[in-house]
Amino acid sequence: MAELVSVYEYPSDVATVVRKLKARGFTDLTTYSPAPFEEIELAEDPTPSKVRSFHLIGSLVGVVTGFGIQIWMSMDWPIKIAGKNIAAIPPMWIIGFELQTLFGGILVVVGLAILAGLYPRPLDKHYSPRFSAEEFGVVVRCEDRDAAEVESLMRGHNAKEVAVVAAH
Amino acid sequence: MAPPPATAVADAMNPPARPRDSQANIDIMAVTKGFHWPWLIALLFALAGVGLAAATLAWQTYEGLGVAGYQAPVFWGVYIITFVFWIGIGHAGTLISAILFLFRAKWRNAINRGAETMTVFAVLTAALFPLIHIGRLWKFYFLLPYPNQRYLWVNFKSPLLWDVFAVNTYLTISVLFFLVGLIPDIAIARDRAVGWKKVVYMLLAAGWQGTGKQWKAHSRAVLHLSGLATPLVLSVHSIVSWDFAMSIVPGWHATIFAPYFVAGAIFGGFAMVIVVMVPVRRIFRLESYITDYHFENMSRFILFTSIICGYAYGAEYFIAWYSAVEFEQTSFWQRAFGPYWFSTWCMIIFNVVMPQLLWIKKLRTNVPFLFVLCFFINLGMWFERYVIIITSLSREYIPAAWGLYIPSLVEMIVLAGSFCWFSMFFLLYLKMFPIIAISEVKELDIHARDHARHEHGHPAHAAHASGGAH
Repeated sequence: MAELVSVYEYPSDVATVVRKLKARGFTDLTTYSPAPFEEIELAEDPTPSKVRSFHLIGSLVGVVTGFGIQIWMSMDWPIKIAGKNIAAIPPMWIIGFELQTLFGGILVVVGLAILAGLYPRPLDKHYSPRFSAEEFGVVVRCEDRDAAEVESLMRGHNAKEVAVVAAH
Repeated sequence: MAPPPATAVADAMNPPARPRDSQANIDIMAVTKGFHWPWLIALLFALAGVGLAAATLAWQTYEGLGVAGYQAPVFWGVYIITFVFWIGIGHAGTLISAILFLFRAKWRNAINRGAETMTVFAVLTAALFPLIHIGRLWKFYFLLPYPNQRYLWVNFKSPLLWDVFAVNTYLTISVLFFLVGLIPDIAIARDRAVGWKKVVYMLLAAGWQGTGKQWKAHSRAVLHLSGLATPLVLSVHSIVSWDFAMSIVPGWHATIFAPYFVAGAIFGGFAMVIVVMVPVRRIFRLESYITDYHFENMSRFILFTSIICGYAYGAEYFIAWYSAVEFEQTSFWQRAFGPYWFSTWCMIIFNVVMPQLLWIKKLRTNVPFLFVLCFFINLGMWFERYVIIITSLSREYIPAAWGLYIPSLVEMIVLAGSFCWFSMFFLLYLKMFPIIAISEVKELDIHARDHARHEHGHPAHAAHASGGAH
């Protein structure tokens, strides 16, 4: 196996090279960029993010919890207030909404941590501080026999540098 | 003249390859480095103010709320006024970050971090005031709803309880929003730090490398948090307003309160962003990132929300007159011509009259003028809450129960201490993390260069985020 590390200056070049690499079947690739760029995201993985599932689950749990605690605690200590039902539903929407937002937000961040692998850990061996400056990186893992083709694709799309390293 | 040593010539001809850093990284991270006298003086001043307020609070806790001048008929004084004030200040950050994000208003990129930072510290400051207000700090857990132990009666029909949920939810979501946005910038700091700072930034950056997978999850998380925060920010000050509007106190029982409070919060919040960011921009030389264009856009928001506030003030008076309810009419007459006339006219002049100067473009882009104007707007917004709370409580239905409220020295020290508390956190933040969202600024810069290359065949020297949005 070979790994090719290339460096670019513009996001449109990264998006183009990623699309072409994927079209040629080189799907084991990683991009590094200093900022979010929609064109790179669409080229690399156009499928919907799973963050929305975390949001949905959190929001549902939140709204159920919000209504649940209010109904349970009202019934547990039943006091009539202003002629309203013991467990009056209309005012419960407010706390239901707040907990929906709270749980939804917390689960969104949990989803981010899981999906983006956000936990203290060593950085990738090909990561460079250049990628948190203004440059972009594309790392492709391929068979040794394909390395020349991948390198040619990279250089053909304005790669500033291409390094071929043996993968273990 | 002796020739230079051969090694120096060689170095000059073949300089060692050194990765080029982004100008945005260099300029914005410079705020966290070095020594700045104005920063140190401000921090020492803030620490002194916090110390004085803490000592005063300790005395109040020992002696009881009487030292704060609490007596019938006004039991919601400066502490509740200041609570509402700081909650309002905390609205601009979420508005700039979440709502402008959803509207794809890219000009927000240079100011959103400062506004989010301000939001978090403003809400933290606000959260202190219910505790200060109850006097017996050790009883604070009664504010929290939990199953009915100790005969605690949790009234879910009370707006005061809704407020506990709303403020805590807002604080949590604001902190999450702020931290999520900060992660890529902490990674920038990590890559450029050395020693113990590198270790700290490495832990906080949580393995961020800017991979496509990470940016995708990050962008979606920011989008979803924006979607959650937008109705939340509108709900929080609505609920704070219901603390008043759900009662039958004259001057409070009004359906206009929720939008009135929300507009006022955005108004005051934007004014505070300007008050905070003007000195930051000047001291840390960030003029090429936070430009006059940003201040002009914020001025337009201020002008717009000032008009809404003016409409709300007018509508309150009109409805009081039109309702033919004597108590309402008396309450509003007392506001304008009673013992608190000074605060009412300050409110009207600072919040409605003075901001009309922003119709003039030259003034909208005159930063020193904006700083002074926004200072007065913040004063006016504090007076607005003073007017709402004090005039209504001091003169309710029964004239025999009327009273005159004058803020006590203890309350004023704690009020001043709250500004110092807020400033202390903000100043400490400035020296630890980027005050401008670097990756978002770079997104605009790089895009501008890329587009220029495609259009003209060469990369233009892109204006910064800021300016680029012209």
